[in-house]
Amino acid sequence: MSVAPLEVQDPELDEVVVTERPWIVIVWNDPVNLMSYVVYVLQKLFGYSRQKATKLMLQVHHEGKAVVSDGTREKAEADVARLHAHGLWATMEHPA
Amino acid sequence: MARRFKRKGEGIAVSLPVQEIEILRTVPDQLGDVLRRPRDPDDPVSRRLFPTAYLDPTQEDAEQEWQELVHPELLRERLAHLDVVTDSLARGVERRGAIEVLLSAEEVQAWLGVLNDARLALGTSLGVTEDPDERTVDPETPEGAGYAMYDWLTWLEGDLIETLLG
Repeated sequence: MSVAPLEVQDPELDEVVVTERPWIVIVWNDPVNLMSYVVYVLQKLFGYSRQKATKLMLQVHHEGKAVVSDGTREKAEADVARLHAHGLWATMEHPA
Repeated sequence: MARRFKRKGEGIAVSLPVQEIEILRTVPDQLGDVLRRPRDPDDPVSRRLFPTAYLDPTQEDAEQEWQELVHPELLRERLAHLDVVTDSLARGVERRGAIEVLLSAEEVQAWLGVLNDARLALGTSLGVTEDPDERTVDPETPEGAGYAMYDWLTWLEGDLIETLLG
């Protein structure tokens, strides 16, 4: 390993970082998917703990929907595709 | 009913009575027919198996692009699951009136996918609700037979998930 020279921080660089409004991925309640299945899929796809996945599943069950992930448009599209592959009813949107 | 799935190493051992194996063997063909139908947003079963990604009507172009990209892959993956289930059932060994198969971790995922897809397709066409007590179906009718199949698939999938989460 080589020793890197001391880097001089350019303050202008920090201003270039734009925090874009994230897209959100929503899972909707449906009468077919088992509660245990939804927990299993959320853990498998997003690496959530049992506790977090259960909390989201219960929110879907009681409130009709829950935001399960967010990020760039590309990430949201990929997440929705994986949720659909597992039979969950998921959509994505870009909240104002 | 006794449990049908049991953890064994990295995989899961399945033990199903011969009558249940016979029913399960019919699932991949029936589900394959439903999956292969062209995607039709006016058909509730198609809409449930292959939902829209964008609800916002102003994103219609993005939706179409996404579907063109993703639908063939989702279909391919689901059809591959059917083949995995058929192939694994074919190597089952009969023991005391039950067929036993050892599934690899990968095969387990295909089984789970097929059981869930079959329930999505059947449950949507039956119009199931969250509360089974709301049903008023004569078990002697074709609809009653559909519900019996749905309930059995639900029980079987529940058993598998319990084994996986266990």
